[in-house]
Amino acid sequence: MTESIRTAMLLLGLCAVLMIAGNFVTPGFLSFSQIGTQLQISAFLGLFALCQTFVLIVGGEGIDLSVGATGSLGGIVGAALLQGHDSAVLPIALLMALAGGAVGAVNGLGIALFGVPPLVMTLAVASIVNGALIIFESAVQPAIAASPFLVQLAGRATLGVPNIFLLWVVVGLAAVWFLSATSWGRKIIGTGANPQVALLSGTHVTLVKVLVYALSGLVAALSGFCLIGYVGAAFLGLGDAYVLSSIVVAVIGGTSLAGGRGSYIGVAAAAVLITVLTSLLTTMQIGEAGRQIVFGCILIGFLLLNRRFERR
Amino acid sequence: MKAIRRAGLLPSLGMLIAVFAINAWLQPDLLTRGSLSSNIATFAPTILVSAAQAIIVLSGELDLSVGAGVSMLNCALATLPELAGWGIWPSAAATLGIALMAGATNGVLVAYLRLPSLIVTFATSAIWFGVALIFRPQPGGSVSESVGDFYAGSLGGVPIALILILLAIGAWSALQRYPLGRQILAVGSNPIAAFHAGIDVRWVKLRGYCIAWCLVYLSSLAISAQTLSGDARLGLPYTLTSIAAVVIGGISLAGGRGSVWGAAFGAITLGLIANVIYFAGIPSIYQEFFKGVVICVALSFTFIVGRRRTA
Repeated sequence: MTESIRTAMLLLGLCAVLMIAGNFVTPGFLSFSQIGTQLQISAFLGLFALCQTFVLIVGGEGIDLSVGATGSLGGIVGAALLQGHDSAVLPIALLMALAGGAVGAVNGLGIALFGVPPLVMTLAVASIVNGALIIFESAVQPAIAASPFLVQLAGRATLGVPNIFLLWVVVGLAAVWFLSATSWGRKIIGTGANPQVALLSGTHVTLVKVLVYALSGLVAALSGFCLIGYVGAAFLGLGDAYVLSSIVVAVIGGTSLAGGRGSYIGVAAAAVLITVLTSLLTTMQIGEAGRQIVFGCILIGFLLLNRRFERR
Repeated sequence: MKAIRRAGLLPSLGMLIAVFAINAWLQPDLLTRGSLSSNIATFAPTILVSAAQAIIVLSGELDLSVGAGVSMLNCALATLPELAGWGIWPSAAATLGIALMAGATNGVLVAYLRLPSLIVTFATSAIWFGVALIFRPQPGGSVSESVGDFYAGSLGGVPIALILILLAIGAWSALQRYPLGRQILAVGSNPIAAFHAGIDVRWVKLRGYCIAWCLVYLSSLAISAQTLSGDARLGLPYTLTSIAAVVIGGISLAGGRGSVWGAAFGAITLGLIANVIYFAGIPSIYQEFFKGVVICVALSFTFIVGRRRTA
């Protein structure tokens, strides 16, 4: 726990340095509204990274490449059911959570029961979900607009603090508490650290894995559902941008790719850091090419830094 | 036949034959020379990049940057002639140099600095894409038409594209008779055992990446010969396609098990599915869905059927 707080402080410290540097490059980068926007964008990245954190911790080369597709599912089908009205937001959100959970459970069953590597299983499921969404979009031509409530939730702020950021803080704290203070959380960490030991000490390893992947799908679908409130409308490929970036954020946040180790505090800090870095590179007007190259180099730098810390 | 079974190629070969049969049934002129050679020319980039991914997966790693790499090399090929005033041969040679440098960079990061290949090749993929954009901010430039004509042609009745594929994968098969080829498989199947057997694991992995990137280079040549221009986004989808082809080809992502031919079969299967959907009159919106279904069928072959055999 203390180690993860140290990681988080380090990442947030870097983030502060970036923001001050950004204010020199582009005056106004440190303004209140700008910070609010950053937190808003971080919230979505952080929520998708929450999925990756859990599946990475549960181990067995855990990874979820279907978060993008599941997020798109939550957004597209959610918007189709909403029809732009608020009347049934909660039941629809619940339905999307169930749908996402079902997709995740399919992942989990393939991985835990049939021994398919997570990378492959979630890639195949992503392909099927995306394919089904393409068919759905062209066959039904559903409504795509977000409802006023979703816009309020994902796009607006209360007393200057973005609502979605508040939601993220609540969800994030719940995740931290769940992982560190509940028996299920310890079962997840135990399964990732050493599945044999976990099995022998009475953990139903298969069930834990299926539930973790189901949880990942559930969070992804709900995040996608909220995302349409921020973007304004649902579209194919809504969640695609989050697939790889969420993994990167989880790893920079100190989650071990080998499983069994990680805390959401560091991951949340990493989500803010990556968001600030991306928008700083955008405002610096160095062009897309330079942005990509700098991003790649910084990511490699972080990986090297992380490894040095792990060695100690 | 025995060799095919031993290499675990039966499921992927069976699926390839099935999809091919459906395609031939729907498109009667598939079996003509012209149609076959134009198909192979279309599939060649995917086949080559999938073979590259297969080599890296066999060595126990992964490369998410092959797609951006194809883009970068394609843009270099289309831009170097006007940028440096070079002819097509010097440009092609310089592009091969870039490919080897990119492969070596990935190899050093993964093997010597021991960074996780999944994340670090995602990082280098951003860099390659950035370099591609420096070469070609907008799609354009030009590749000499003689390259296109050469690629579309044939040598002694065999299409150039097919010769390219056979040479590339044949060279890999021939390499299996030499220490390096076997060492790559050994390192992928059990790096610790390989280390104790006296193999320099890092050096083998690095060379594996370089060999694979030679195939990425060939893939970008084939694409450039078809489009005759440069486009920084052209190659990006190839990353996931190559992984799908590797999986359909029955290669274990844990490394060490499988055959590069399987990846080639997987890549052809994916290409033929697009054909089948087109000729069956199914709207193209179903393509992605069917691709997913085929990957799942392949998975159940490899994991459920394969499991029963070992049990």
